[in-house]
This record gives sequence, C-alpha cells and structure tokens, in this order.
Amino acid sequence: MPTPLAETLTQLRIGNQKFLIDFYQHSRHLFARWAQRKHQLTADQAHGLLQDTLLDFYDHVADGRITRMPADLRAYLYGMAQERIAAQVPAHQPLPAAEASRRQRLLAQFNQLSTDCQQVLTYFYFRGYHFEKMGGKMGFPNATVARRQKSTCLRKLYDLVRGGYEPITGEVA
Amino acid sequence: MPIDLRPYFDELERFADGQMSPAEQDAFELRLEQDEALADAHAAYEQLTADLRWAAGHDTLRQRLQALDDRMNERGTALARAQRLTQRRQRRWVVWGTVAALLLLAGVAAWYLARPTLARPTRNWEAYYQPDPGPAVTTGLLHSRPLLAEALDQYQSGHYPAALHSLGRVNSANVGADTLLYLRGLMLLRQGQGNAAQLYLRRVSDDSAGRSGALARRARYHLGMAYWQAQELAPALVTLRAVAADSLSPYRASARRAVAAGVLDGK
Repeated sequence: MPTPLAETLTQLRIGNQKFLIDFYQHSRHLFARWAQRKHQLTADQAHGLLQDTLLDFYDHVADGRITRMPADLRAYLYGMAQERIAAQVPAHQPLPAAEASRRQRLLAQFNQLSTDCQQVLTYFYFRGYHFEKMGGKMGFPNATVARRQKSTCLRKLYDLVRGGYEPITGEVA
Repeated sequence: MPIDLRPYFDELERFADGQMSPAEQDAFELRLEQDEALADAHAAYEQLTADLRWAAGHDTLRQRLQALDDRMNERGTALARAQRLTQRRQRRWVVWGTVAALLLLAGVAAWYLARPTLARPTRNWEAYYQPDPGPAVTTGLLHSRPLLAEALDQYQSGHYPAALHSLGRVNSANVGADTLLYLRGLMLLRQGQGNAAQLYLRRVSDDSAGRSGALARRARYHLGMAYWQAQELAPALVTLRAVAADSLSPYRASARRAVAAGVLDGK
C-alpha cells in the first residue's frame, strides 16, 4: 500500500505539481528568512533560489534521479538550495546532470514555439488531454482539427531540434 | 541528430497517438520488429516525446511558480500599503487625540480657575460690604449746609479725598459731631484707610449716649468692616457678630452673611 509521501512522488511524476506549488506558498517566507540569515540573500534572490530548487527537485523526480520521497523534505530542499549556492549556479540555470544538455536544448527550443503551440503540446504530452478535450480548451472546432494542430506543432519543434530551420514563432496554422 | 525522423513522422505519430486501426497497428508492430531503421526512428521519436513531456512539465511548473510569486508579492505589497495606511491613520488619531486632550485639559483648567468657588468663599471684605451712601443731597441741604452737601456729593461720586477735604471745612456747630465722625469714618473706609477709619467709627459706636441709637448701630457695622479691611480679623469677627445679633441693625443680614462665610474665623 503506497504511503502518502510515495503517493505524492507518483503524483509529481504524472504531472500533478500542486504539492510543489503548496510547498512554495507555505515556505517562501521562512525560506527567505533562512537564506537572508545564512547567506545574506535579499528576499527576491531567496524567492528565485527556492523556485529553482523546486524545479530541480521536479526534474530529479521526473527523470528518476529521485525514486523515494525524502523523509524530511524541507531539510532535503534546503540542502539542495545550499548546494546550489555553494556551486555558485546562476539563477534560473539547471544543475549539471547526465541528460541535462539534450533536455535543456529541447526546453529552449520549446520556448521558441508560439504560445499556442506550447499550450497544445503541453495539453497533449504533459496534461494527457485527448484531442476532443484539447480542442475544447483551445477553441478548435473538433478533435480532428486539434489532432492536426498538435501534429503541426510537433513537426515545428522537431524542425527546431534538427536545427535546419529558422525559429518558428508564428501563430498555429 | 543520428536519425532523421521526417520520413517516418506520420506513421510514428499515428501509432503513438493510437490513431491506427487494429490491422494497421499489427502491421506496424511487425515492421518495427523487422525494419531496423524504423525501430531506431521509433526509439528516437519516443525519446523526443519523453523529453517534450519533461520540458512541458518543467516549463509549466516554472510559470506556475512565477505566477504564484507575483501574486504573493502583490499581496505582500498590498498588505504593507494597508499597514502603512493604518499606521498613518493611527498616528493621526494619536496626534488629534493628544491635541484634543490638551485642549480639554486647558479648558478644564481654565474652568477650574475661573469657576465661582462656592466651597471657598471669597476672602475680600468688599465682597461682603454693604456701603452706606449717606444722606441724600437735597436742595434744602444744599441751601442749609452747602459744604456738607458738597462733601456728600463728592463721597457719593467716589471722590473720597475731595470729600474728606470738604468735610473738614464743615462747621461742627451746624452738623452733629457724631454725624461728622461717622461720615469721616465712612470716607476713610472707602478710601482704603481701615486703621484710620476705626478711630472715628469706634467713637461713634462706643458713644455711651448714643450706643443704642441708629447711628451707633450703623457705625458698629462699618467699624467691623474697617477692622476686616485692616486685617484685624478677631475684632472684626467680634464686632460683626454683635451686629449680626442685633435685630435692630440695618446691616444685620450683611453681617450674618460675613460671619457665616467663616472667612473671619479661619474656616
């Protein structure tokens, strides 16, 4: 029988990020005080650091580097933040990892797509929406249109990955 | 990029998205086992979509955290602004409250100092003194005793030195000696010379011949007030008590009031 913590990890893997959002909301103030006391960071710097740390944690869970929920999650995340400061990683840059370069390239290329394309691909590949639901969310007339739009956006991303084309940032065709 | 997915993209996408019919799917799975290039393309496609799933999740989380951060910052700013306004309002209330309290205090102090003190009767003899204006200056008096009429007129007008001077010129043969003494005592008393007034008033009030007379009664009252004016409180109290006890004295009520105030016996 899965424990609540293990359940949380599973939920994170399948895209339920509420746990991390709640953690940020409840811990931002305390974390900023800790970072100010320990590392003389301003409130804005501390907030940015906590966001990057939570993104790291999510990445670790998503790619399997974390397979068990830490017993003391708060201490674990503070430790990750401390490692980030010690390594002097610039804010909003990922920690070094085995597959980081390929994924980070893809993330950068994903961000070059139009907002609609990012939304369509997020709905399909991250949220797991079927074409009918995605069509409803995006305002497409039917599921077939939604499938074509998704296909078009995926090809645009692949073209960027191939590096054979200029960045495409136009509206969904 | 080791393999170009573009020639296989349609098929791979339809297979991955479950868009093939069962027969097409079976045939595609068979080809995957036999066609190495297709199998490599399928693996690359799976890696691409897995990476895409991660990128979309990462980006979504980043945006959600950023949006939450913005909301919390806005809320913090609004709370700080509200707190500043509240503090400013409280400070203003404190200032106005202090000013109002000071004004109230000043008002109370002013009222306290200026109030009619019923509990503390005034210690000034003039507050209890009932003056005697003397005989009225009539035409007859002007003709018969012009100097006395002049003295009385000056006394009644408040010109006491002039009145005393005029009174000194009055012939005692025309006016009774007691009357002159009494009038001189009155004038000296009004002039503020209580000690001097006592000599004349005492002679009139102690005059054995007229002790029970009307003039002696009046002189006794003014003698008491002359003692008081000279700050001789004990004889003033004795004299005024005697006046207060004298039912025939025209100044009985005034003397009673002065005695009852307790000023003379130090109450």
